[in-house]
Amino acid sequence: MTDHLSSELLIDYLRRELPPQDDALVHVHLDTCTACRREYEVEASLTEALRAAAAREEVEFPSLVAARVWEEIRNAKPSPLAQIAALWRPLVALPVAAALVFAVFLVGPMSHSGPKIAASYYLEEHAAQQAQNPLTERGPAASHFIETSALDSDTSTELADEADYGVAATGVIDAVR
Amino acid sequence: MGAPRTRIEPPTPEQATFLERAMTQYGKATYNFAYRLTGNESDARDLAQDAFIRVYKAWRSFQPGTSFLSWIYRIVTNLYRDELRRRKGRFQEEIPEDNAPQEFGGQRPLAVTPIEDYVERQLSEPLSLALAQLSSEQRQVVLLADIEEYSYQEIAEIMGCSIGTVRSRLHRARALLRRLVERAQKES
Ligand SMILES: [Zn+2]
Repeated sequence: MTDHLSSELLIDYLRRELPPQDDALVHVHLDTCTACRREYEVEASLTEALRAAAAREEVEFPSLVAARVWEEIRNAKPSPLAQIAALWRPLVALPVAAALVFAVFLVGPMSHSGPKIAASYYLEEHAAQQAQNPLTERGPAASHFIETSALDSDTSTELADEADYGVAATGVIDAVR
Repeated sequence: MGAPRTRIEPPTPEQATFLERAMTQYGKATYNFAYRLTGNESDARDLAQDAFIRVYKAWRSFQPGTSFLSWIYRIVTNLYRDELRRRKGRFQEEIPEDNAPQEFGGQRPLAVTPIEDYVERQLSEPLSLALAQLSSEQRQVVLLADIEEYSYQEIAEIMGCSIGTVRSRLHRARALLRRLVERAQKES
């Protein structure tokens, strides 16, 4: 290697991307040639400067982004297959709710408060499932109810927590927009 | 960003956990990568959001034992390329939502923005200025090579191009960076 090293070669050397033989040749040349050594140091300092700038500008992950991700997932329309599955739910839920109300009626005098709560819970559950029915028209007034009830009915606790977080953040999103 | 919304299924508990962990562990790295790529917070937020939605949808295709970060960088890179294609020819820039970006090192808009914008925002860092003037591909290679410290092979996989392309892009990008920084230093 009689010529000076090209900057391409120096960059590949800096990044340790050269095959062992070439790497050794560059190493030897840098040991003996001041001009190339200086050139190499400029390349190395550019990398250092880039890293330093990146470190200085490092920012936290905005919680807003996570909130929007969960919001988008929550508001997504399920696929046709999931919609068909959802259609069946009210058909099952209705008799179940009716049976429960009837049960409460029978048991009523014995334990007044407990079962009543249970029944109303299941009735609300049914309403929630009905609201989830994708074929039901979603009026603007009903949208909030649909959104929250859908959350209550069939999401895991973990996700519901996330979703609540998302609901809370919606105000923030609106504020930003 | 303006991507058409495709269907998203309700999450299974495993899927929700996967996404939760992904955002907790890699949200910061992903967002910073997106921020350096786009140069502004608004685009970076949109890009990170779309990336995690894609992670959510494609979570089963992630191979355990492989680098999640490489995977999401690849997603971010693809989304950004698609977005630039969509915007191409429009040459319009979104107005930043806030005007106090100094603590974040200044707003670096998309590469199509005139240089005066940076000066107005008092961005004095010559290197950040220079970085913003690279093409998006050149900037991606510099970010992945010099800041994220990926090998040429890994960058080729992330960007979906050959090692030769990675190498020549990096060489050209660095040569350009050096010229721009030197010019800025002479002027000041
Ligand atoms: Zn030499």
